[in-house]
Amino acid sequence: MAKHFHEIRDPIHVFIRLDSDERKVLDSRPFQRLRYIHQLGLTYLIYPGATHRRFEHSLGVMELAGKVYDIVTEPDNIAHESVRKIVPKHKEYEYRYWRRVLRMAALCHDLGHLPFSHGAEDLFPEAWDHERLTIEIVMSDELKPIWKEIKIQAEDVAKIAVGPKKYKDDAFDDWQAILSEIIVGDAFGVDRMDYLLRDSHHAGVAYGRFDHYRLIDTLRILPMEETDSVEPVLGVEEGGLHSAEALLMARYFMYTQLYFHPVRRIYDIHLKDFLKSWLPNGVFPTTVEDHLRITDNEVIASILETAGNAGTAGYKSAQSIMSRKHFRRIYQRNPEDIAKNPEAAIAIFNAACDQFSAENVRADRYRQKGGSPNFPVYTTDERIISSLAISEVLTRLPVIATDYVFVSPEIRGEAEKWLEQNREAIIEPKEGE
Amino acid sequence: MERNKKAVVLLGLIEELRVNLSWCGETHIQKATYFLQEMMQVPLGCDFILYKHGPFSFDLADEITAMRADNLLKLQPQPYPYGPSILPGEASKSLMKRFPKTLKKYSHHTALVAEKLGGKKVNELERLATALYVTFENKSSGDVQRAQRIHDLKPHVSIDEALEATKTVDQFTEDSRNIIAA
Repeated sequence: MAKHFHEIRDPIHVFIRLDSDERKVLDSRPFQRLRYIHQLGLTYLIYPGATHRRFEHSLGVMELAGKVYDIVTEPDNIAHESVRKIVPKHKEYEYRYWRRVLRMAALCHDLGHLPFSHGAEDLFPEAWDHERLTIEIVMSDELKPIWKEIKIQAEDVAKIAVGPKKYKDDAFDDWQAILSEIIVGDAFGVDRMDYLLRDSHHAGVAYGRFDHYRLIDTLRILPMEETDSVEPVLGVEEGGLHSAEALLMARYFMYTQLYFHPVRRIYDIHLKDFLKSWLPNGVFPTTVEDHLRITDNEVIASILETAGNAGTAGYKSAQSIMSRKHFRRIYQRNPEDIAKNPEAAIAIFNAACDQFSAENVRADRYRQKGGSPNFPVYTTDERIISSLAISEVLTRLPVIATDYVFVSPEIRGEAEKWLEQNREAIIEPKEGE
Repeated sequence: MERNKKAVVLLGLIEELRVNLSWCGETHIQKATYFLQEMMQVPLGCDFILYKHGPFSFDLADEITAMRADNLLKLQPQPYPYGPSILPGEASKSLMKRFPKTLKKYSHHTALVAEKLGGKKVNELERLATALYVTFENKSSGDVQRAQRIHDLKPHVSIDEALEATKTVDQFTEDSRNIIAA
């Protein structure tokens, strides 16, 4: 007898379960492509274990999204009348419909990723990003027949998968806003939960671990009552606050220790430099068909070939990656310089370009996205208060920010000496208007 | 608008909001900035969509966080059980000193927005910002039509509250004309 439910072994969640309808999406060409997209780009050059792919991450996000849905819609877990009005009745059609939409949106949320994931995201044409391409793929002829067969609307899947920040065609009602928050939310999005757990597991660093079982069990849909607004958001019971703090600290440590490791970042820059010379017009194509044809495999084969052919376009970048002749860091953001000039790294980058020519200098800059970690907490005495009022950990959590300046390895010594002699003058703020 | 200038305008707005006794939480800054950009026509380049508590800009949320990273803004905890305020940080004074012309150019704009919105609570700001959003959506709509639209978008806002919000926004628009024209 044919099985209607399937289990997939997973190092993070042990088993990922899905039914035969959901498996049709799993077996589709857009989803199978994710087997060939590294979750962390070229990070495996620094952390050799980090060779995992978007494929298993997307499965993990689906698994967690389903778990969160079951917890937050459980009637006993809904404490506020205004929330009861927006949540579909337990086990009825609407309830089952949105559960499926949520799980499929979670499964598909990364379909638009380019080769090497975020590494080359800057090489989309103007006004494009991986979320827009995800929408295109979900709505494409590749997947539309499957949505029709499993009786869900492609628009609903696309909308919930990318959230209100990226889905501009339609406003989100309160329920849809909650569903998208379950996947891509700033505080408790399961996308983040899965990537922190999975990336730390594969990279072999412990920083990304937190008690996600406890956290998910205590998630609740709550109004932000302290603001006098009834609009609901994802919050947490007071008993889960420490696991919420642990999640947000895990994010901070993983970003500072792994995702923004300086060598990892310069490899991304070399990859981008290579791709600019390799791609037609220096940008990735955005038709669904062209996108589905290109994975890490095609790119890495080309880098290998180019690295062996001196004089071909992209040779220097390919060599930097393959022979580990990457640019070296000469400057990184620090509190002393930031206090004098928040744009210190930009000033140093510009001065270094003037001194050593732009082709020998690269810069990297990142500032944390999203707002402060402010979410409602349902206290043991049945009040709803701001997380930042109850958690000193969250009010003191630093904002993630990096600035690096790198130079070609041949001029590293000279550049370091030059910077030592000129640093103070370079970062002196100039008068504006 | 270039990043430093944008930061200076936002810092000027926050200082004015404080003078007008605003709580200066993230929602207060979001809605005040919406009025500053859309009604007062200060070109901040934020992309606002209808979302939590009315018009909301993810770009602005990112910018506020980036300004916290650079000590231009800081979170100021408030007495339990209230959420924090967002106030100018240690590096804000020196940045504002470096851009006196930008600060002066928009000082009347920020002052008016702060005067009108400084004392408002989040639910009032939500109604007013949504009323402005609806007004820009269809400039020829009358009060009743706009109030109905607000109620449709935000069912927890009653028709009477929505009607009151449209009138307040119309008066605000009238009061802003001289400053925009100057």
